[in-house]
Amino acid sequence: MERAVEILLVEDDPKDVQLTLHALRGENLKNAIEVCRDGEDALDFLFCRGAHSDRSPDRRPRLILLDLKLPKVDGLEVLREIKGSSSTRVIPVVVLTSSKEEVDVVESYKLGVNSYIQKPVDFNQFRETIKTLGLYWLVVNQPPPDSAF
Amino acid sequence: MGTRLAHFEGDNEKIKEFEDAQRATLNMLEDFDTEKRRLEEVQSATLNLLEDFDAERKRLEGVQRATINILDDFNSERMHSEESQRALLNILEDIDVEKSKVAEFNQQLGAVNKELEASNKELEAFTYSVAHDLRAPLRHADGFSKMLAEELGTQLKPDAQGYLADIQDSIGTMGRLIDDLLSLARIGRQEPKLQTTGLSSLVAEALSELKPEMAKREIEWRIAPLPFVDCDPGLMKQVFLNLLSNAIKYTRPRQPAVIEVGQTTSEGGPVIFVRDNGVGFNMKHADRLFGVFQRLHRKEDFEGTGVGLATVQRIIHKHGGRIWAEAELDKGATFYFCLGELEK
Repeated sequence: MERAVEILLVEDDPKDVQLTLHALRGENLKNAIEVCRDGEDALDFLFCRGAHSDRSPDRRPRLILLDLKLPKVDGLEVLREIKGSSSTRVIPVVVLTSSKEEVDVVESYKLGVNSYIQKPVDFNQFRETIKTLGLYWLVVNQPPPDSAF
Repeated sequence: MGTRLAHFEGDNEKIKEFEDAQRATLNMLEDFDTEKRRLEEVQSATLNLLEDFDAERKRLEGVQRATINILDDFNSERMHSEESQRALLNILEDIDVEKSKVAEFNQQLGAVNKELEASNKELEAFTYSVAHDLRAPLRHADGFSKMLAEELGTQLKPDAQGYLADIQDSIGTMGRLIDDLLSLARIGRQEPKLQTTGLSSLVAEALSELKPEMAKREIEWRIAPLPFVDCDPGLMKQVFLNLLSNAIKYTRPRQPAVIEVGQTTSEGGPVIFVRDNGVGFNMKHADRLFGVFQRLHRKEDFEGTGVGLATVQRIIHKHGGRIWAEAELDKGATFYFCLGELEK
């Protein structure tokens, strides 16, 4: 049976993937994390097409962590498609990126991002941030029920 | 003629003939005289006519000369106006040439402006990718060095643990350097958007943002009323943030710290100052005060990247103003600035 995906992590840098997974490890979520390494793969996964056409559309992640600088399809474009489709719009998306440039923040919010976080350089802060946001979006926050899709 | 005629004796017929002849001659002489007088009259009338004719001729000659003069004047007037016309045409040609030169200059200016815009955009793209591209490996280095410390932790000798701590320290510094450089670059790109602003409200905002830095500190604030000036409020708030943050930092050894904000007047307008009773600095190093990454204190005594004052100076200069400082080692420092006259 297909495992439930709690978190979809869209991140192209393998080191960032490793550090993020390490930070999420404490949350007992490591097994429920799907990693997509570029924008195209992320969209294929979410819309159950291309390389992920055998996925069932009912299995939706409860949280999407999205980096902005992605190969093939850019992070903002992925955000636009997620928020532009009724089948994925309600999934909370947290942009997790190095950039704090106003243009990126503005554009992300205009596209309907749920949260925008600049990855801290300091690893302790990074860990704390990941823990906090995982805790918030998956535990404190009420996820969208199935009927919302 | 009462000439007594000779009375001849004798021949009455001959005398009669003679008298007749005499009479005829007299008549003829009279006629001749009359005729002479008539001719004289005719002559004098003719002479008068000739005189009149001459006068008329002279008058006509005068008119002719006058007409010729008028024609001459007219001709020279015409030549003058032809000259003026030629001169005007030349001026118009020159204006045209000037105009086309100006148009050419404007075109060149437009081209230079386009180049500048392109170059600015390149710079923006560059700084943007610096932010992203430099931060990522830093984050990785910090992450893995901390994970290493956690994995090996207790197995490491104190020296080795120290090395790892130093690595993380350097990473933190580099991260702050990047952030500071980026904000300096961002400010360098901005043109101040001027509006009449109350400096006192900017100081109040800055102070509330600096609350975390004031935690557990004993600071005596002396804030005088400040004027309204034409400035970019966002940029000027940054000025106060940096100057006040420095004042808070360098008064750390003082209890209480005394920090003053006020104004003095000069002919150019209001001069704002921020004064503290902190550690001050040696005035002989004052020329390095506003340099990028230049510091006058050791890192271990006071943290900082040396961009705060460079940023402040850049902002003040963008407002057409001036900033300078006076200080004495261990007595404190005062930073003065004035804003210039700028077109709104």
